[in-house]
Order: sequence, then structure tokens, then C-alpha cells
Amino acid sequence: MSDAPEKWSDTQVALVDLIDRVIGGGVVITGEVVLGVAGVDLVYLGLQLVLAPAHEVEQSVALGGRSA
Amino acid sequence: MLLYAVVAADANAPETRGLNGHRLETIRSAFAAVIVEECSEGLGATGDESRAFAEIICNLAATTSMLPIRFPTMLPTRSAVLAQLQANEAAWRRRLTELEGFSEVVIRAQEAETDDEFGTAPASSGTTYLLNRAAVIHRREASVADISELVSTWAREIKVLRPQQGVRLACLVADADIPQLRDAVTTWQQARSGRQAVVSGPWPVFSFVGDEEAVSS
Repeated sequence: MSDAPEKWSDTQVALVDLIDRVIGGGVVITGEVVLGVAGVDLVYLGLQLVLAPAHEVEQSVALGGRSA
Repeated sequence: MLLYAVVAADANAPETRGLNGHRLETIRSAFAAVIVEECSEGLGATGDESRAFAEIICNLAATTSMLPIRFPTMLPTRSAVLAQLQANEAAWRRRLTELEGFSEVVIRAQEAETDDEFGTAPASSGTTYLLNRAAVIHRREASVADISELVSTWAREIKVLRPQQGVRLACLVADADIPQLRDAVTTWQQARSGRQAVVSGPWPVFSFVGDEEAVSS
């Protein structure tokens, strides 16, 4: 097996980096939801409305921190 | 509502349509505003949609200082967007001011002997596997330290991203300094045979929106 890594295409790298940052970076909005029945509040949920790549979430959970 | 970006209170949404075919709108508060699009149905967040969203964000960033919002973030109503805006506008406004004139670039680098993940040579034992893996991680850490020092003159902030075929660093750089940073990385790459380095961007500041933006409402 060759030691030389596969030659990168600048265009492909740029696209991959951009998409990665779009779904892995940016402002994260937080919120809250109260679930109730017949006007009675029953359950409170604190939410972070985040879509992140599964591998980043898994890594973040494993490290006990937040994803980049 | 699909959320695109946080902008200054006096900024306007561009005259363009969003992913759902609706015109982009601006929801304003006293110190900041959010660019949104009416979007009654959920998004699949496919590669095409992510790409289209990225194009809109990049076009927007070319016209005004902004904080991109992670795709796809949706809130049910305008009042929900306004509530989030009012809860976070002080922190967002502060970060917008700090980031004016800055962009993000991503540096991806790989040494010839750095394998894709944990070594391509077959591990004869668990110990060998762990030693191979440790060696790869040490090489990555050395590369990160090397590149961080290299770009420290121009990068105001650096974040190490998850490795993908080598190390990746996001750098917050003044727009005027990006050519010098690119030149430095090119020179660094050429200094060692088999070394690869690519600088992508400039991008909107996806990795540098700050930690304080996630303040709970």
C-alpha cells in the first residue's frame, strides 16, 4: 500500500467543508415546550433545536461536551 | 419558519427566495434581526437542501455581517422567532460586532505517513492496534500544533474540527488577511514531500458564532 494519501480536489474539499459547517456549525437555538392536557401543564421539556451529524453527537456525548 | 441567519437590526433580507420557494423575510427586534422563510412543512435536510441553504447563506454573508443559524432550525411561528430573538439579541449583537470584517477558512492537512484512520497496516495484536492508533493521534496533534502556530499571525480564533482524512482547523481570519494565510499554508505544504494542505473558504463564520448564543429563553 502506498504511503501517499489520495490527492485532494480543491473543489470537492470546499464543498465537503461547506456542507459540514452548515449542519455542524452555526447558531443553536434553545427553547422549551410544556405539554399539557385540557389546559393543565403536565410535562416541561427544555430543548436544543439541533441537527448534527450522528458521529459528532456520539463523540460529544462520549467526551461529555458539546460538538463544535 | 425556517431560520437562516442573525443579522443587524437594520439589515434587510435579500430579494431572493428560500428553499421552500418563499421570499426571505426579516423579523426584527431592537438590536438584531433574524432572516427567515415561511416553511410549513418539514425539510428533509438532504444534501441538495443543505447545499442550497449554504448558497443562500454565503450570498447573504457577502452583503452583511451575520451569524449563520445551524441548518435546519425551524420554529413554528413568527412570535416564536421573535421570542428567541428578544431572549438572545444582546449576545448576538455583541458577537455580530466582534465578527464584522472576519470570515472563516478551513485548513485540511495530511502527512504522507498519516493513514486515513488508525493505520492501514494490519494489527497483529490488540497492543499493536493501540500503538498504531496512538501514533496516528500523536501525528495529528503535532500537525494541529504546527498549523496553529503557522496561522497564529492571522487567525484570531482557531477551532479544531473532527478529523476527516487528516486534520481540519477552522480559523477566524480578517478578510484582508486571507491571502497571506493561504500563501503561508501553501509554503508550509511545499516544505515537506507528501504533505497535503488545502484551504477552503472564505465561509460565513459557522464555527465562531460563540457559546453565548445558546442562552436559554
